[in-house]
Amino acid sequence: MAATAHSPSKTPSAGSSGATGSTSRNARRSARPDGAGWYFLGPFLLLFLFAFVLPIGYAIYQSLLTVERSGPLGLGKPGVGFAGLENYTLALQQADFVDSFGRVLLFGVVQVPVMLVLALTLALMLDQLSNRWAGLLRASYFLPYGIPGVIATILWGFLYVPGISPITEVLGSAAPDFLGYDNVLWSIANIVVWEFAGYNMLIIVAQLKSIPQELYEAAKIDGAGPWQTALRIKIPLVRPALVLTCVFSIIGTMQLFAEPLVLKVLTPAVTSTFTPNLNAYNDAFANANIHLAAAKAVILAIVACALSFGFLSLVTRKQRRQR
Amino acid sequence: MPVRRKVLTWGAAAAATPLLAACGEQAGAARLTKQAPRRDGQKVNLVFWTWVPLQKAVALWNKTHPDIHVELQIVPNGLNGGYQKIHSSLKAGSPPDLAQVEYHTIPEFMLVNGLTNLSKYGVDKLKDQYVDWQWSQGVFDGQLHAMPQASGPMGFYYRKDIFERCDAEVPSTWDEFRAAAIKIKKRAGGSLIGSFAPNSALWFAAFSWQRGARWIRTEGDTWIVDIDSEASREVADFWDGLLRDELVLAMPDLTSGWYRAAQTGRMASWPGPQWGDALLRGNTPGTKGKWRVTTLPQWEKGDNASANQGGSATAVPQGSRHPVEAIEFAHWLNTDAKSIDLLVEAGYGWPAARIDLGDSALGKPDAFFGGQRYNEVFQESDGNVDTSWKWAPTTSQSFEHIKDAMGRVAAGNGTLVEALGDIQGRFIDDFKAKGLKVRSA
Repeated sequence: MAATAHSPSKTPSAGSSGATGSTSRNARRSARPDGAGWYFLGPFLLLFLFAFVLPIGYAIYQSLLTVERSGPLGLGKPGVGFAGLENYTLALQQADFVDSFGRVLLFGVVQVPVMLVLALTLALMLDQLSNRWAGLLRASYFLPYGIPGVIATILWGFLYVPGISPITEVLGSAAPDFLGYDNVLWSIANIVVWEFAGYNMLIIVAQLKSIPQELYEAAKIDGAGPWQTALRIKIPLVRPALVLTCVFSIIGTMQLFAEPLVLKVLTPAVTSTFTPNLNAYNDAFANANIHLAAAKAVILAIVACALSFGFLSLVTRKQRRQR
Repeated sequence: MPVRRKVLTWGAAAAATPLLAACGEQAGAARLTKQAPRRDGQKVNLVFWTWVPLQKAVALWNKTHPDIHVELQIVPNGLNGGYQKIHSSLKAGSPPDLAQVEYHTIPEFMLVNGLTNLSKYGVDKLKDQYVDWQWSQGVFDGQLHAMPQASGPMGFYYRKDIFERCDAEVPSTWDEFRAAAIKIKKRAGGSLIGSFAPNSALWFAAFSWQRGARWIRTEGDTWIVDIDSEASREVADFWDGLLRDELVLAMPDLTSGWYRAAQTGRMASWPGPQWGDALLRGNTPGTKGKWRVTTLPQWEKGDNASANQGGSATAVPQGSRHPVEAIEFAHWLNTDAKSIDLLVEAGYGWPAARIDLGDSALGKPDAFFGGQRYNEVFQESDGNVDTSWKWAPTTSQSFEHIKDAMGRVAAGNGTLVEALGDIQGRFIDDFKAKGLKVRSA
């Protein structure tokens, strides 16, 4: 989540070099803040503290505790003791938990590029269309995003279950087993693409709209066709939007939860440790071990943070080198 | 500047909250049960979480008992969300007054100190009205911690028409089951004898239970795990064979696809629990009159061993303010003749109360089962359940290992027999992770 807060502020500043002068003037003034500043910051700080800092602190604190059992068969009144990093070592020793990271990484490596290429293609196509049609199509591509993930998964679930699915009905024995061990990850990827491609498209479209018309005119005068305009002007200029959507998608991938949870009922191929998030949820609420779950959640947050910051620094380093 | 200092003070105070909370940190329930004093004529409101549609029985109670109002809240069943909800409410200190808890999950709630000791509130005098073994499912340290509600003695549901059409004999042993499976596959044109349910560890456990396996024992203060036993291996090997020869569908049970198979006759039988009657009736109305029920096939010819799948208790989660009223309601719900009839109609399972079949709705002939008094089969089955079976306090976790293994086997990877050893090891790890003493048998 930390990465999401940072990325929008980073990306525009990369493009607008003229802002440097005004920031230094601001810096001089803000060296001696007056009280009024706090009134403006206050609401944000309060929310940030209660919705962000406190829960994270509490999770870290919980992850350092463990339940101690007493009495015959351990059924006596349990107590809470300090565990240090025991929960972390226990979590990392669980093969299922480590495997779940491998699974979402594989998922992300395939699903994120597919979705973004699709979103970019749709956005470029919409940009070419006349305004009236573009509005209608934009709305319909965006529509799946308005459907909650749980509903979307139930809906797709019906299309996957053999015996009910119209797809298997039509294809007969040629139909793949959508919920089988080898396929279920990609069936989930399909749902996620369906849900979010339109949303990402919208962000790219917004960036496309902000490209000055003069650039197109200049390109036209230089003899560029629609293909060259797209490749040489549009795609390079929507780069910030692509970076942003990619970071969103990386975080979303790590947090994969609702889709596997719903599909779990339909197929044994989705286990309770299918994704890191599902694994932590299962420990917290089904196994009643919130301390281990907290440790897993912290590990997940660290990995998600490292991945999204890693991606951002990779992209910005390239940018710097290009300049 | 003063403003800034104030903000910092508040910030520091807020940041310190978790540290202060640390002093009061405790495991399991955040609040303990305490009877609230009650004036004469004061109305008490009880909240009841269940996934069985008990609305009619609760409505009857509310009509006849104006001083104790029960508010029924339907939650997702068991591990699909109900238990998760109870665990969080215990932790938060805001539990319902009554909650449905399956027998196999009771030890797990005991482990987090989540259930009220009902013996403290004088429940023991009611013992004689319940079936012994169901009562003892809730007894720990000689104290009752959950009121028995219902069980799931197993029987064999089968499609009479399909068996007759294929000239297959209704099996009385598992060997005959296999023989019938071969016949049905050959002759029924698309039907198979039944399904293997990779999602239901409880269902697989039932067959091991019937075979005489005991997965969990206790010895002093140590838990003993014995899943990889001779008896379990025999059961595993049997289903391995059926899966290998594709004599059964490999399909999660009680799901839309599974009901579809039952509707279309793709599935000709179901070794299932008594509470399955309502599910079949409700989900496959088109097959009315074609189903019959008989005794569960036996491992040894001439035996009459039975098993139990599922069954629940009505528990009072730790933290209730009205345990006395909750017990009064739970007892009425589970023993009152009118209530039981309404519960049976709702499909809640075999009553935990001692009843006379003839006096109850359970004893009536049923058109869905071709006019058979099918519950006679289950009454006999109930009497033949080996009641020494015990559940682990890590059941939810441990069941996941069985489900994972069964799922892989159903998809054609490896065998159940091979998986048993791995499952045994994981069971033991689950115990250790909870800080319990455990060893392999």
